[in-house]
Amino acid sequence: MWIRNLLHLRQLAIVLLLALLVFLTLVPILFMLFSSLKSNAQILGNFWGLPAPAKWANYQEAFASIWRYIVNTVIYAVAGSVCVMLLSAVSGYIFAKKTFPGKELLFMLMLVMMMVPGILTLIPSYVLYENLGLTNTPWVIIVSSAAGGQIFGTFLCRTFMSGLPSELFEAARMDGATETRVFFQVVVPLSLPIMATLFIMQSVGVYNDYVWPLLTIQDSRLQVIAVGLTIFTKQFGITDMGTQFAAYAISSVPLLLIFSFGMKYYIQGMTQGALKL
Amino acid sequence: MRRTAWILFAFALLLGMSPQIASAQAQWSLEGAGDITSISVAEDGSRVAIGSHGAKTYVYGSDGRPIFQAAANNVVNAVDLLADGTLLAASDDRHLYAYDASGSKLWDADLKRQVKSMSASRDGGVIALVVQRNNDLLFVDGKNGEQTNAVPIGTSMRFTKVAGNGEWIIVASGDQFVHLLDKTGKTLLRFGAGGQIQAIDISDAGMTAVGTKLGEVELFDAKGKALRKLKTRDMVSAVAFSKDGETVAVSDLSGYFYIFSPNGKKLWETKAGDTGRAVAFDAGGKTLYAGTDDGRVLQFDTGSVVAKAKSDARIRMLVWAIASVAALALIYVLLRMMKKNDKLGVFREIWRSKWVYLGLAPSFLLIFLFLYFPAFSGLFHSLYKWQPGGRTTFIGLDNFRRMIHDPYVTKGLGNLVILIVTGLAKSLIPPLIVAELIYHLRSKRMQYGFRTAFTASMVIPGVAGLLIWQNFYDPNLGLFNNFLELIGLGSWTHGWLGDPKTALWAIIFMGFPFVGILQLLVFYAGLLSISGELIESAKIDGASLPRIIRSIHLPLLAGQFKFLIILGLIGIIQDFNAIMIVTGGGPMDSTYVPALQMYYAATKFSDLGYASALGVSMFAIILVITIVNMKFIKSAED
Repeated sequence: MWIRNLLHLRQLAIVLLLALLVFLTLVPILFMLFSSLKSNAQILGNFWGLPAPAKWANYQEAFASIWRYIVNTVIYAVAGSVCVMLLSAVSGYIFAKKTFPGKELLFMLMLVMMMVPGILTLIPSYVLYENLGLTNTPWVIIVSSAAGGQIFGTFLCRTFMSGLPSELFEAARMDGATETRVFFQVVVPLSLPIMATLFIMQSVGVYNDYVWPLLTIQDSRLQVIAVGLTIFTKQFGITDMGTQFAAYAISSVPLLLIFSFGMKYYIQGMTQGALKL
Repeated sequence: MRRTAWILFAFALLLGMSPQIASAQAQWSLEGAGDITSISVAEDGSRVAIGSHGAKTYVYGSDGRPIFQAAANNVVNAVDLLADGTLLAASDDRHLYAYDASGSKLWDADLKRQVKSMSASRDGGVIALVVQRNNDLLFVDGKNGEQTNAVPIGTSMRFTKVAGNGEWIIVASGDQFVHLLDKTGKTLLRFGAGGQIQAIDISDAGMTAVGTKLGEVELFDAKGKALRKLKTRDMVSAVAFSKDGETVAVSDLSGYFYIFSPNGKKLWETKAGDTGRAVAFDAGGKTLYAGTDDGRVLQFDTGSVVAKAKSDARIRMLVWAIASVAALALIYVLLRMMKKNDKLGVFREIWRSKWVYLGLAPSFLLIFLFLYFPAFSGLFHSLYKWQPGGRTTFIGLDNFRRMIHDPYVTKGLGNLVILIVTGLAKSLIPPLIVAELIYHLRSKRMQYGFRTAFTASMVIPGVAGLLIWQNFYDPNLGLFNNFLELIGLGSWTHGWLGDPKTALWAIIFMGFPFVGILQLLVFYAGLLSISGELIESAKIDGASLPRIIRSIHLPLLAGQFKFLIILGLIGIIQDFNAIMIVTGGGPMDSTYVPALQMYYAATKFSDLGYASALGVSMFAIILVITIVNMKFIKSAED
């Protein structure tokens, strides 16, 4: 009996400890949500108090100043991720299911690029995009995310697609389907889970990227949210802390949406990437 | 071996492309001259006339011996030396003066208005003038200065230039247009420049060079077709063709002087003084005269530079020709050998897989252009002094030497070591503990619930998370100081980020309690993959929980540890987001890391070569870590 009690106690202790850790982990989010409804006076005067009355106007003001950054970033993220999906699906399929001269060499060329850290290419890339006249345009974000993301994407797709039964493609070909048809009507539908993983990982990556847009985009009308969050207070002359926190909260909405639909895929991608490396 | 040869060969070619440097042979200071407004060189190169802001015109011999000077009553805007030795000088005192070779005045035309620009053909047959508030281009007779013609341009003009052979006349107007006239004054055509025009010149062949405020010299052919743009560092102040039209000299307001070939290659550049004002070639194109805003005239021997550039171009072409012949021969031999060994089938295979290559083409195009090229460019330029749009000079290992002596880098390395040690501890220990705790929960639903709860922190964008943490450390409004006061430790409150002693530790503490989601999931998945039988048998043998963790879990998680350590190392060495946003490296140098110094070298100081060298060094460190780790893993598996 007491053993059972002990076990119960132990479970209880674990739960409590985990709950405490979860709480501590989420302190920034909770703090953000509370503070976003306060005015400066409330934060200064009653730091620990609940926002009373809640100042919803903070959200209005924050939204008015940062919506543009969010829209920009979402467009870049979607465009970049779609490019990555297309490129990775084609390359992944070819590397998984085709034999051709030079396959090993080309695959090695990709593999090598996974070893090259971003820090080496950051500045020369910037100069390259500048010389190509791509800086300060949406392309600088979209192209760089497509070029960089497809490498990891090709690896994921290759692994996934080698697991697809080749007989299926053969059957389609026997029925007279062209190679493009096989690809779009058999390979792509079967690979939707990995595509979703890619899309979500890539979009989240673009959405969180800070240094590259900071370096390459000067026009604040084209700026992304990560940089926008650090400049909008100055730009719009916002001095209210509450509004700043409201902006942080609003900027989390796209991530919240994408994670609530695709957390499973994101985790899959993260752990798969971890195991493949 | 062959590859090494090719790389060396490519290097040699690239080295040949960097612009040459020539030094000033002589310089004369003109007392009280102020800005040099214009320079004109006699056709035989023996004399140089200089117009100055100080209302004087000077004539020097090419050896620097003063011949005479002539005073006007206001700024001398333009001078021109004709073939017969006549000197024309146009001034803001509303006069156009003509002097003979010995300096005595031939005539003096009162034009009633300030003469803003003047140019003459070498023989003096065509003399064109732009005067203030008059939309007509005036022509005067070289013999007596009397007005012979007035051509309406219809808009206010800034500059005019007559080609040396007198065949062409160009006029730059205030509305960014260039008007091209023939020698009779008939307007041939009109074309627009990209920016406000600061200087123009036209060659005997009718090629026009237009210097603009945008720091560009635009070249047009005689039909008004834009040929190309030459980039300078600042607003262009003067342009001049050599007599043969084969080179263009340019000066800009940053004090740089340039020589370009008309096909757009920068042959030479140098910096002299703060602001360049005027340039002119002698007739042979061997000597360049350059005027500055502090009354100095510099004489550069550019003949050798230009000649060298030309011979370099020839050599390069020869090398390319030889190389391509060699490559063709090599391919031929290779094909012969393959044929002999009956290996030609590979081409049939390649042809059969053409669609495969086509499918891979977009990917590899992007990879080569946007990944390989920058990587090699970084490696290559780490040996150069590399400035955007400017000079790229080979300086060997100087960037790396400088790095060793850069106090920000040494300080940054110290910080980086601290960040790596703490960062690895942060990224391994708390996630492992949490993974174990979740693993030991009995209820599957609770396991799932807690896993999800921890991942919930991902919904905040990284930058927002950093800004919130930055706010936590605020001396007055921050969570920390308020919390300390709440629990009665008010005396401990502190400007956490403002104090060099605590700033780094404040950054390290960000993200408490450090339950990294990737790490948590990797450990958790690792624990799940440990077979239950192993644990059961250990339990039957009477092993306690700590014993199980120590002797079963940890050894079996070794792979996960290795992976997370290497990932952590690579990430920490490269990451400077947090530091840049939260402290910007400060206060003082207390939170610098090498990656941040790299970013600043590139953005604040435009020193791309040095930034590349820092990037290359970090790459080398990461590479060593990766290789050591791979060896390590391999030997562990054996």
